[in-house]
Amino acid sequence: MTDTPALSIGAPGFDVDRLVADLQATVDRKMADGLYADARVARAERTNLVHLRASDDFIAFYLTCLREAVFVDISDYEIHERRRFLGPLLVAFKKTVWKLLKFYTYRLWSQQNQVNGLVVTALEGMEDQTASKLAALEQRIAELEAQTRPHGP
Amino acid sequence: MAPDRLAFVCPRFAGEGAVGGAETLLKNLATHAAARGFAVDFLTTCAQSHYTWENTLPPGRKTIDGMNVHFFPVDERNTADFLRIQQAIDRGHPVSPDDELRWLRNGVCSSALMAHLDRRVADYRAILTGPYLFGLAWFAAAAHPEKTLLIPCLHDEPFARLACMKQLFRDVAGCLFNSQAERELAAELFGIPDTRSRIVGMGLDPFDADPSAFAARRGLSAPYVLYSGRREPLKGTPLLCDYLNTFRERTRRDIHLVFTGSGAIDAPPALRPHLLDAGFVSEQEKHDAMAGALAFIHPSVNESFGIVLLEAFLAGTPGLVHAQSRVLVHQCRAARAGLWFRHYPDFETQLLFLLDHPDARAELGKRGRDFVAREYAWPAIEQKFLQALDALRPVRSPPEHPQPQPKGTP
Repeated sequence: MTDTPALSIGAPGFDVDRLVADLQATVDRKMADGLYADARVARAERTNLVHLRASDDFIAFYLTCLREAVFVDISDYEIHERRRFLGPLLVAFKKTVWKLLKFYTYRLWSQQNQVNGLVVTALEGMEDQTASKLAALEQRIAELEAQTRPHGP
Repeated sequence: MAPDRLAFVCPRFAGEGAVGGAETLLKNLATHAAARGFAVDFLTTCAQSHYTWENTLPPGRKTIDGMNVHFFPVDERNTADFLRIQQAIDRGHPVSPDDELRWLRNGVCSSALMAHLDRRVADYRAILTGPYLFGLAWFAAAAHPEKTLLIPCLHDEPFARLACMKQLFRDVAGCLFNSQAERELAAELFGIPDTRSRIVGMGLDPFDADPSAFAARRGLSAPYVLYSGRREPLKGTPLLCDYLNTFRERTRRDIHLVFTGSGAIDAPPALRPHLLDAGFVSEQEKHDAMAGALAFIHPSVNESFGIVLLEAFLAGTPGLVHAQSRVLVHQCRAARAGLWFRHYPDFETQLLFLLDHPDARAELGKRGRDFVAREYAWPAIEQKFLQALDALRPVRSPPEHPQPQPKGTP
């Protein structure tokens, strides 16, 4: 995660355009390798999505991140209490509440997970469908242009 | 012979409890024009808040920095109408010409200021007004377009696409832009030819800053990144908080986030212990904070001129800006002192690069300092301002200020 391209700072030709291009190339490679497919990245981009609408690649990448974030963890977990005063009592109380509510919350969360999964699958499907339709249209345009192009001078 | 008289028209007067980049820009240009021998009337309102436009300052005239500053009361506003139309514009819904005017009228206007301007217009060689989207500037320009030089502080935003703005840019005598990127945007949106505009910007006075002073005073032991200015979604501050929180979680690197300025901060709870809100600080403390920061981060995409970014450059600190802000990217490119990120993965990589390559960070910082000291020194900006005035509003009578010798093309 922390590897960065080796750059010779102060060397002739070093400029910010080249530096940014090199760093972006590294990022693009790592994104393609799945190193940023992370629910935390999807969360971090919540306010930046509006600026990324124009980027086809990023929408596909964002959906990959979303896939990582989509399922809510509904497994049992260890209940801790940091407060010393009445700590064991509070832990026992929370465990009881958790057990009492489990029959209800599990059902809700499972349904929510199903919906989340279906929504992301549908979005991925739409993205794939649109991308292949666009590719087919672009190919057709190229073929038509080739047919209508005047031959030679 | 009396000196040429200039009127500056601006909705708020920077320094009287009001901060804002455009207000600071107009005030500084006016102050320097007064210092160069112009008689300057600065016409503004009694408001300090750009949210409420409440009249909180007493009306009247004051002499400040060699200028006559006239404070006029803001007219009654129909805020419901204003907000309804503003929301429609923001969402890209079509707005009728009548509603555009209603929106301008209920933004910020002052009939007392307009009456003063109408009475004294013959005395003025030029009326310099801005920013473009406020009713006060719009109506002043519409009343006397042949004398108006607009300092628009133009952003690529829905307001810039209104029909009334096309009319404004078409009718005024000329525009003073802050950067080449802003000039290009105006050419795209309104077809303004270069002959009707000049690039002036704002000068910065050199300052000394101690890179360790801010951290020592505030008890910061880890490296920090800085943002200075208004904290609001339009400025991209929630994005900055989200990015830094994710950066800390993913890289496990201890880095703090420092804010100076005003406004609420929308930060994830996990980031709060590592976030320092210094609020309003003195200029010296702001410069110390800039000098000690790993990078100055400017996440806004709506800027016509990054004054704070240039200040950070002058403090020897590189910038990290959003790639969608063409003005800030242009400044980073021109100074060769900053990087720009498209999304979080870029941000993470670039911040790690600055953390792990102190030599590169120092080199970028040095270039930024040299660039601003050279390009944004006040004498250079004053010269550009005088040349713009002579080109766009030629001299009516011999002025008392020394005539600048035109040097090359503006």
